[in-house]
Amino acid sequence: MKKIFLSVPLIIVILITIFCLVFLLQNRDPTKPPSALLNKNLPDFDIINLFDNTNIISSKNFKGNIMLINFFASWCSPCKIEHPLFFEIKKNYPSIILIGIDYKDKGEEGINYLKTMGNPYDYVGVDNKGSIGLELGVFGLPETFIVNSKGIIVHKHLGPITKKIITNEIIPFIQ
Amino acid sequence: MKLYLLSNKLVLVIFYLSILLFSTIALSNEVIDYKVKKITSGLRCMTCKNQTIYDSDADFSKDIRKIVRQKLVNNHTEKEIINFLVERYGEYIAFTPQLNRRNIFLWIFPFLIFALSFVFFIIHLKKNPTK
Amino acid sequence: MISLIGFIGLIMSFFCNVVVVTSYYFRINKRFNQIFYLALYCGLFFICLSFFSLMFAYLSSDFSNFNVFQNSHSSKPLLYKITGTWGNHEGSMLLWLLIMNIYNIVFSFNTTLEDILKKLTIFFQSSLYLCFSLFVILTSNPFLVNSIEVNEGLGLNPILQDPALAIHPPFLYIGYVGFSLILSLALAGTISDKLDNLWIKVIKRWTMFCWLMLTGGIALGSYWAYYELGWGGWWFWDPVENVSLMPWIAGLALVHSLMITQQEQLLKRWIVFLSILCFSLSILGTFLVRSGILTSVHSFATDASRGIFILILFLTITGFSFIVFILKAPHSNKKLNLLFINKTSALIINNIVMLIACITLLLGTIYPIIVEVLTNKRISVGAPYYNSTVIPILLPGFLIMSIAPMLSWQSNKLVKLKNYIYLLIVTGISTVLIAYLTKFNIWAFIGTILSLWIIATSLLSILHNCLKNKFNKFFIYNNALIAHLGVGFVILGITFSSIFQTKNNFEIETGETINAGEYSLRLNNLQMLEKNNFQELQGVFLLYKKDKLLTSIKSSKRYYYVSKIITTEAGIYHDWLKDFYLVLSDEKNNKWSITIYHNPLVSFIWIGVIIMIFSGMVGVLKR
Repeated sequence: MKKIFLSVPLIIVILITIFCLVFLLQNRDPTKPPSALLNKNLPDFDIINLFDNTNIISSKNFKGNIMLINFFASWCSPCKIEHPLFFEIKKNYPSIILIGIDYKDKGEEGINYLKTMGNPYDYVGVDNKGSIGLELGVFGLPETFIVNSKGIIVHKHLGPITKKIITNEIIPFIQ
Repeated sequence: MKLYLLSNKLVLVIFYLSILLFSTIALSNEVIDYKVKKITSGLRCMTCKNQTIYDSDADFSKDIRKIVRQKLVNNHTEKEIINFLVERYGEYIAFTPQLNRRNIFLWIFPFLIFALSFVFFIIHLKKNPTK
Repeated sequence: MISLIGFIGLIMSFFCNVVVVTSYYFRINKRFNQIFYLALYCGLFFICLSFFSLMFAYLSSDFSNFNVFQNSHSSKPLLYKITGTWGNHEGSMLLWLLIMNIYNIVFSFNTTLEDILKKLTIFFQSSLYLCFSLFVILTSNPFLVNSIEVNEGLGLNPILQDPALAIHPPFLYIGYVGFSLILSLALAGTISDKLDNLWIKVIKRWTMFCWLMLTGGIALGSYWAYYELGWGGWWFWDPVENVSLMPWIAGLALVHSLMITQQEQLLKRWIVFLSILCFSLSILGTFLVRSGILTSVHSFATDASRGIFILILFLTITGFSFIVFILKAPHSNKKLNLLFINKTSALIINNIVMLIACITLLLGTIYPIIVEVLTNKRISVGAPYYNSTVIPILLPGFLIMSIAPMLSWQSNKLVKLKNYIYLLIVTGISTVLIAYLTKFNIWAFIGTILSLWIIATSLLSILHNCLKNKFNKFFIYNNALIAHLGVGFVILGITFSSIFQTKNNFEIETGETINAGEYSLRLNNLQMLEKNNFQELQGVFLLYKKDKLLTSIKSSKRYYYVSKIITTEAGIYHDWLKDFYLVLSDEKNNKWSITIYHNPLVSFIWIGVIIMIFSGMVGVLKR
């Protein structure tokens, strides 16, 4: 009986080590928390077209297709770095619907940004006040969501995407 | 004479009513300020390193403070506001671990061992005869 | 060149300690004594050589050294060049090694212990040194050299360029790392079955010293956070802070447990357990902070591979120690004399309360890691959790603490009980009065009555002692009371400064005066100052009380040239009963927005800590 008591500290030490080891080996980034909306339905929200303020589409319209929603802005420098990769995604996986959301930009800045950098998106929405971002838990740009054909958010990536991330994190969900 | 007294009374009534109105507004602003402070002191600024939304100057914190204030003005309860944010940003945004099945061990454990050791101590006391 | 010398020193120190450890196996040999101690002293020589080489590299701004390049700049003031030696991960680990080695050498001059026990302790301490030395050599080498020639360094984070923060690591490490000697003593004593009164005497003095230094280190860190970070607080339950608090609490429990043994009752097993626990928490703390696994305001530059190495060290050292504990834990034959309430039970209650507080801290810190690994969801465990758990748990401890030093070992009688009862009534009435005047907040009430009770009983007890013994052996009889008096002040300070803190925002123009009660504040002028590594826009505010000038308070914004960071420096007016804490924010249309915090009784916290440290020093030095 006493020996069991005496072994408790050792067991706790081993348990702590295992959990911390697994955490580190899983390459979890302490600055990038997993999304709260993972495996939940994409919330319904209205997207105002960046180029035509009268054109409003509901997120419900895109259901049934695999969606990639990318939050960007003209004031976000890492967004400029990841931007060209979206053309590649569009080229290699034409079945995906690419939606860009221009987050907290003023006036024509978003339009000018896309004119300079090119527009890879199938549809671009504007979110001046950040209300769409609020619904999806956006807090730092760029952020990219992947929604499957059943309308469920299956992955969220914080920060700019790279070729490696496309291969390791995005492709698996697209199959 | 009567008209004079009546108009005086009317002025007084209006005066008192306006004080009442003013103090309810002032008081309720104070109350809302206090509530904003209370709620945002328990929320994490997601773009900072371990600061509360109340203390942080980041843009994200300013936005969330606005949202919390707006919801309070619209008579949402503290619980509703926190749930709203937790739904979107995850439990990570709340510095108080939520009371759910996952966190129940965290909340109960300290008090459990406290109670157990207290009982253990009393039992050992009883074993010793009091001099 | 200097990097090479430093690196050689590091390697040679490693090998000297290898000699110490391996020669122990040949201790029957005649020459053993000579070789053992020679290797030990050479080891110290080499690590000093290594450490001071790094410091020299910083002093002379030798940017060929990669560490100096990353963390220093030629325009840095001299003091911060020196203290910058340990202001980074690699340098601080070198300081860790130096301190660990110094403890070993100082301990080797001990004459109380039996020679076999002494050598076994040195053996373990050297083994621990080898573990951490390996960590530094393989993953955190401060003597890496730049492959290209560089003329200038990258600079040091401006927040770290501060006197309090400069000396905070050495104090902290002398405490933290000192627990390694406690562990070595515990392992040596357990394995050789020599946990006798001599061993108790030695470990008691060392534990008190380590704990004392750790208290100073934590207090310095807290004080720094208070005046530097700009939001008027001094404790945030931040992971790094919790990680330093856990060994402190365990050390405190150990200090108290070692007192029970003086009166023929021995809790050997418990003492060995606590001795292992203290250093285990130090290593775990180092891991949590340096692996980057937790988000904190005070983060180090992190690296997952370093994290894994420290984790393995944690498992090895702690695992080994606890296995020794299971296999060779001593048995106490004597039953404890527990009465309600005598000194023994008071100390037991202290231990229980401290340990549960420590476990709760550990649980709260580790829990998010466990949850994320198991469920892929990230949660936060922050101040609200610790305030609702740790503080209520500590309350019984604080209550008992007030009369504990006056309790008897044998009986459950308290001398001059009537006086204490009168005192309780007086304290109760004064607290109710204070509570009424301050609009009754339950925590304020509890904190005030508890702290006033502790302060009052401690003073009364000291008075009793003086009346009985005059001033004979003043410190022997009253040291514990003095320490508890300090704690009383700390609790009072914490209660008032956290619950009754007020924060007000104002907009003020140059020449304008704001009035609040009997105080008024005037923004006198703004001036631009140029220092060698930053430019400062300083607002000079004049504080008046009842129209008489009290002092000037200066708050500023600093722009550091090299790191291109803007920091805000708060201006603080310290008074015995309150602090005014002024922070300059932004300017709009010639109006400056400022925030003023009113923090009542903050000085009591620092006063209380100083009393505690003084009492600790007396405890170490007294015979």
